[in-house]
Amino acid sequence: MQTTRRAALFGAAAIVSAAMPAIAEEEDIVIGFAVAESGFMQAYDEPATQAALIRIEEINEEGGLLGRQIVPVFADTKSDRAEGARAGLEVIEAGADMVVVSCDYDFGAPAALMAEAQNKISFFLCAESVRAGIQGVGPHSFSASVLAAVQGATMAEWAHEELGATTFYVLEDTWTEYNKGICDGFNWRAPQIEGVEIVGRDTFVNDDASIAAQITRIRNLPEPPDAIMLCSMMPGVVSAVRQIRNAGIEVPILNGSGVDGSYWMDAVPSLSEFYIPVQGSVYGDDPNPAVEEFNVRFEERFGARPSSQYAYPGYVMVDLWAKAVERAGTTDAAAVVEELEKMDEEPTLFGPRTFTSELHHQNRARYHIVKVTDGEPAVVDSWTIDEPIPLEVLLQ
Amino acid sequence: MTAVLQILFDALSLGSLYALGALGIALIFGVMRLVNFAHGDYISFSIFALLWPTTAATTILFLGQVPPAVLIPFVILIGAGVSVLSEILVFRRLRDANPATLMIASFALGFVIKNLLLMLYSSRPKSLSILPGLAQQVEIGGARIPLLQVVTVAATIVILIALTAFLKRTRFGLEMRAAAQDFTMARMLGVRANRVILLAFAISGMLAGAIGLAIVVQTGTADINMGLSVMLVAFIATVIGGLGSLYGAVVAGFLIGGASVLMQVILPLDARPFRDAFVYALVIVVLLWRPQGLFAPRTAKQRV
Repeated sequence: MQTTRRAALFGAAAIVSAAMPAIAEEEDIVIGFAVAESGFMQAYDEPATQAALIRIEEINEEGGLLGRQIVPVFADTKSDRAEGARAGLEVIEAGADMVVVSCDYDFGAPAALMAEAQNKISFFLCAESVRAGIQGVGPHSFSASVLAAVQGATMAEWAHEELGATTFYVLEDTWTEYNKGICDGFNWRAPQIEGVEIVGRDTFVNDDASIAAQITRIRNLPEPPDAIMLCSMMPGVVSAVRQIRNAGIEVPILNGSGVDGSYWMDAVPSLSEFYIPVQGSVYGDDPNPAVEEFNVRFEERFGARPSSQYAYPGYVMVDLWAKAVERAGTTDAAAVVEELEKMDEEPTLFGPRTFTSELHHQNRARYHIVKVTDGEPAVVDSWTIDEPIPLEVLLQ
Repeated sequence: MTAVLQILFDALSLGSLYALGALGIALIFGVMRLVNFAHGDYISFSIFALLWPTTAATTILFLGQVPPAVLIPFVILIGAGVSVLSEILVFRRLRDANPATLMIASFALGFVIKNLLLMLYSSRPKSLSILPGLAQQVEIGGARIPLLQVVTVAATIVILIALTAFLKRTRFGLEMRAAAQDFTMARMLGVRANRVILLAFAISGMLAGAIGLAIVVQTGTADINMGLSVMLVAFIATVIGGLGSLYGAVVAGFLIGGASVLMQVILPLDARPFRDAFVYALVIVVLLWRPQGLFAPRTAKQRV
């Protein structure tokens, strides 16, 4: 009888541990991923999560963090906000020292708020809204990516300097905060540049079946603009670019990083004169050879190269957090936040990163400029905006 | 003049999509008082059938490579197929259920189709360039119009004429109109209910396939939510057209398309992001003025 009961207990324990294979040992450091492993957000969370795992493995191979191994634990948000909060709680209960949340602010915030409530550090995988951080979650929250506004400002400066563009047409997709952020950055920077004129503006919505009326308005301009600043994202951006090009408008089109990746370019045969900023190149031509080494490692580990630059913030995130932990000598959130906020132009594989006590996000960053010619994307330049985007522009 | 012509074509081509969508919804509503919210997912499904199932970012065309003469009928048949299947597998079993149950069932069905696509293809939009010839511009009265717009409008007119002829000149059409007028009476007079309903689903599904084609040629993108916005507008069009009136649905579809393009043209920049709010405000005005819709069939009135 005694043995049977013990066997049963042992069996139950075995089942529990089988159900949670990633349960950490006491001395391990735990990074909890409350991200989407299914549903709509899965395709967007997965690449950055995989890149984060690569950095974790590297650190472990090098002997760990503070001499301890980093163990990732996962909870699926199922691309659902209510489930997101539960997933956040689940990884915290599994002992997470840091909580990684979904790429998008709206989807990641529930888990981040759970972490905040427990005074744990949370990192958005790739959210590019200022709310993904102190402003929207609290003093323990960070984003691993760069603000959308920086992308718009980068394109304004670069297109003026390098393409010689002086007249711009702004076409804004009002669907998301991300799109609005790109245009906010552009609208802040472009008018400051001498000689630059915005000759027209229009809006559309991402799922508009047709933007014919908007295109007619561009065509009716007395002179075609030197460039079109398009502030849009998948999937509507593809449709917009296709319709603009099909209408015979061949001027340069600028957009944010959201359209990085060559996977969509079949939709616009022989697309040319299309420009975007990227944190690193997935096309094998990054000026830093270590980035290409990362791409190769990513492919070896997960079977395919990163499809866009949105894998990279995951790597940067673990890298920066681990450095801060190393410097603080502890995983204690307050001490690590303090170390993170000391980072000023901290070098990473994908450019320098800065955090301050006001902003846990990048309001200035080095971007590579990718130009698409005849359907082939390639890095043509690198650019860092003259001055950081002021907080009041970001919060407007 | 050129500008007016351009706007007219913009409005007509957008209106065509809405009109075809509204017609698809009105056909089903006519014969079985079902507002089929899965209609938008038939649109996505018929396009995704062209793609090889993969969750990778790149698109692998499955049947997209075939010539247009095969491609177009294929997509339309897929639309008809999924629609007919949903009638046989789901709605036929709910024949005696009340309209609210049917509506919820259609929501559930749409959810199943969408999640099936999500599972097979992931949420990432897929890019594909089919029928690239339609991307050219043609000059009509000085305005440069995308050939696709001309084709969409022309195809819609042909479809509407063919459907009218079918409804007015054939026995099936007569049965369908009779069923739409008064389903119980039609059954008593010997109209075979299941056959008429199945036919309505088939035609409705074909229309969904046609809309899918027009959208994908326009946008170059297949997205699991691609049918959603058209479906929503189409549903509103059937309501303001007068639920049950096929003619009303088509007219209202064109009206909403026209209103949407017109708002985009005339609204000042600051108000343009709220374009849809203005369009729907117009819809509310129409419904306040004629709660039964613009062309409500006589049978739709409450007989109390």
